[in-house]
Amino acid sequence: MIRIRDLALTYPEANAPAVRGVSLDIAEGAFYTLLGPSGCGKTTTLRCVAGLERPDAGEIIIGDETVFSAADGIFVPPHARNIGMVFQSYAIWPHMTVFDNVAFPLRYHRPRPSRSEARDRVMAALALVRLDKLAGRPAPNLSGGQQQRLALARALVAEPRVLLLDEPLSNLDAKLREDMRLELRDLVRRLRVTTLFVTHEQIEALTMSDVIAVMKDGAIVQEGAPAEVYGQPAESFVADFIGRTNLLSGQVMTPAVSTDGGLGSVATPVGLLHCRLDASRRVGDVVTLAVRPEHIALSLGAADATDPNVVAGEVATVAYLGNLIECTVAIGSHALRVQLHPSAPVAPGARVRLALPIEYCLAMRQ
Amino acid sequence: MTGAARYRTRFDPARIVMLAIAAAACLCVLVLLAAILWLSFTDGTPGDPNLGYTVGHYVEVFSDSFTWRVLANTVVFLAVTLAVAFALALPIAWLVERTDFPGKPVVFTLMTVALLIPGFAVALGWLFLLHPRIGLVNQAVMALFGLEHAPFDISTIPGMGVVEGLSLTPIAFIMISVALRSMDPALEEAAAMSGAKPRQAVWRITLRLLWPALLAAAIYVAAICFAAFDVPAVLGLTNRIFTFSTYVFRSLTPTEGAPEYGGVATLSVIMLAIAALMSVSYRAVQRQAPRYAVVTGKAYRPRLSPLGRAKGPALAFVTAFFLVSQALPLVMLGWAAGLPFLQTPSAHAVAALSLDNFRSIPTDLLLRIIGNTAILMVAVPTLTMVASLAISWVVLRAKPRGAALVDFLAFLPVTVPPIVFSVAALLLALFVLNAAVPLYGTIWLLVIVYVIARLSYGTRMTNTALMQIHRELEEAAQMSGAASFGVLRAIVVPLLAPTILYAWIWIALLSYRELTLPVVLATGSNLPFSMLVWSYVQSSSYGRASAAALIMLALMVPVLLLYWLAARRAGLLTPRVAR
Repeated sequence: MIRIRDLALTYPEANAPAVRGVSLDIAEGAFYTLLGPSGCGKTTTLRCVAGLERPDAGEIIIGDETVFSAADGIFVPPHARNIGMVFQSYAIWPHMTVFDNVAFPLRYHRPRPSRSEARDRVMAALALVRLDKLAGRPAPNLSGGQQQRLALARALVAEPRVLLLDEPLSNLDAKLREDMRLELRDLVRRLRVTTLFVTHEQIEALTMSDVIAVMKDGAIVQEGAPAEVYGQPAESFVADFIGRTNLLSGQVMTPAVSTDGGLGSVATPVGLLHCRLDASRRVGDVVTLAVRPEHIALSLGAADATDPNVVAGEVATVAYLGNLIECTVAIGSHALRVQLHPSAPVAPGARVRLALPIEYCLAMRQ
Repeated sequence: MTGAARYRTRFDPARIVMLAIAAAACLCVLVLLAAILWLSFTDGTPGDPNLGYTVGHYVEVFSDSFTWRVLANTVVFLAVTLAVAFALALPIAWLVERTDFPGKPVVFTLMTVALLIPGFAVALGWLFLLHPRIGLVNQAVMALFGLEHAPFDISTIPGMGVVEGLSLTPIAFIMISVALRSMDPALEEAAAMSGAKPRQAVWRITLRLLWPALLAAAIYVAAICFAAFDVPAVLGLTNRIFTFSTYVFRSLTPTEGAPEYGGVATLSVIMLAIAALMSVSYRAVQRQAPRYAVVTGKAYRPRLSPLGRAKGPALAFVTAFFLVSQALPLVMLGWAAGLPFLQTPSAHAVAALSLDNFRSIPTDLLLRIIGNTAILMVAVPTLTMVASLAISWVVLRAKPRGAALVDFLAFLPVTVPPIVFSVAALLLALFVLNAAVPLYGTIWLLVIVYVIARLSYGTRMTNTALMQIHRELEEAAQMSGAASFGVLRAIVVPLLAPTILYAWIWIALLSYRELTLPVVLATGSNLPFSMLVWSYVQSSSYGRASAAALIMLALMVPVLLLYWLAARRAGLLTPRVAR
């Protein structure tokens, strides 16, 4: 539904490009998320699709219409693109009522709906987000969550080809954000509208998306289903950005043989660790080994030197988080983060063993 | 960027219209200032085909000892004005912002009204009180003590300074209150917690923090005072006591002989240079202010000191200020307007009171003048706000190449003394434009110059308001299918409406009281109201001048009420500095 090819944009006042060579395909009806830290180019990419920025190079195709092509000199202005968009600030017009805000896009819709039809469509859109009872209210008299839903109704009322969401949940407080996450996801799935979603919250990306594209420095570094991006990060940046993780840099000692299920070994500051390894890695290659805190098993007592992937250390800090305990274990000059059940009997200073399961130890590029 | 540049040429009607309006307004500013600079180097009558170029005017002006005397006069005038304005404004601002002084909204409203009462009307009132020959106070004191000479003379440089100081007190007051209000009270509280007594805290913290703001206010008031025309003209022109602006005026309209236009242009350029210097130092000081972290834009609610037994004297002080600075001169106007000639109050004088002065103003003249004034009061604010909106939109939204220049040119008029603008416009209209566009003698010449003179104020208002509109509000309308004119009509203009309305009325009021621009540019057929009063003052018909001024003030009242309503709607009842 949305095809982007080699998109590039440098803002006039900046010296580094905001977006460099982004290409992606979004299937019809899919929920596609651009995830990354601030300044990674995700919002710029979204604004290029909206037509609010003019890229320097590349091509954007929505449905079967080329809305931007640097090569052919095509630029369809934003108001002619038939796209719904929810802004980070919601951009609710304060001088209009709730009803008028939603009715606004229908003024420009072709063929223009009749008065009664427009009314029906506005009320239907408001009902969709449970705001139909507040239709006559001045828009500023809404809570944050209501404004967010109003922005969604306005974006959807003209039945756009594509829905763009620019960090729509970031201005809500934590509890409301959790509720809206599910509500928003269910709504767009029900309407089967193709959605491009921008966020810097990994939890939103993981829970809502069909596909996640992780961006860094203006480019996509990994694209895949949530479980794939979380379970098999392609590089240390992705592993670290999505969920907390322990990163150890090391050198390949035994390369993987592809028939061997991709297992090899890496020399790290905490010792030799067996791990999953790409078959293309050679002995001596520098890699990063990632293991998530929830996958490390902790037991009390000194380590048996012969066990593979078991390291000995001393508990440095213990933080009680309610549903779990998070502690750091010092191994020489390194520290590993470990998550434990809240009942685990650990105390700072305890001598412990950490087992790093081979299947959860991933070697990747730095 | 090569790719992006290619699409810029896409046809967008709103963009083109806005760019054209902004460019036209900026071009006017540029042409006026360029014209005066050019004329200052010309030799002979402009328009003459054998026009030569010379620096002779500058040599002449600087070697003339009278120029230096006028400059010295102006310095004394500035010093007295600043001393009076700050001596009054500082305590009143402190009372209103930092104590439990009663009736604060009344003080603000009266200060705003005082800002709008024409300076020439107040000056006329002072003339009736303290003129060495006709001044009532002088007559009374001389009669009482049998003096030969009048003890007071308002028609002196210090006298003008006192009157100007009284009339600029409201501006100083507003600037100081804003600074006091935006000061974080935690800074003073921290001083108290560190063991400083209240008086020590005021001295060591409050005043030190306020210093850049006070300095900026002083330069701002000085710049207005330097450009001031009304007061020095009414009090000093007849006995040839000049400040710089009245000197420029007198050179343009000498009592005998023909004016030397090159010399007038030169004086204007010098005046412009001095004003620019003040403007630059004002900006420099203002830029320093954030270092002190005083102006945060946030409105704090500082602790108010109880006045206790001082409340009575404080109230008396503020009341006395308004009575003496505004009420007393206006009452004098009423007294003078009712009498065939000015005399001290007595049974005899009361018996002579009549409406003859009012009746003696020809009705057809009055109607024509009211018509002219009405055109000015509608056309000037309307055109100013259209141009301001276009300029703000170009500078903040469209941002084409050269947007910074547009911003700069729109800001320039605040620097330029009105007398310089009017001289430039007069010379330009008379000698350059007249063949192509016969503007001279029409009301439209006044309209154009008024608009240019108010452009900085207008753009400052629309800039601030447009900056407060989140860009995404406009982008959301674009995503909803609205093209650029649609976005302007449906989103930008409605959201700016309160500000536009407020600024519109304020500019209408300023246009109503304007004297400096028409005094140079108005001729028989395009006279506005202020010029009626002025021409009676010039011919020493003080009774009729007073009557005309009173009619003018009375007609202002309904517009003032509108202003008050608009200000309340725009949330601007606490007025900003506006010129």
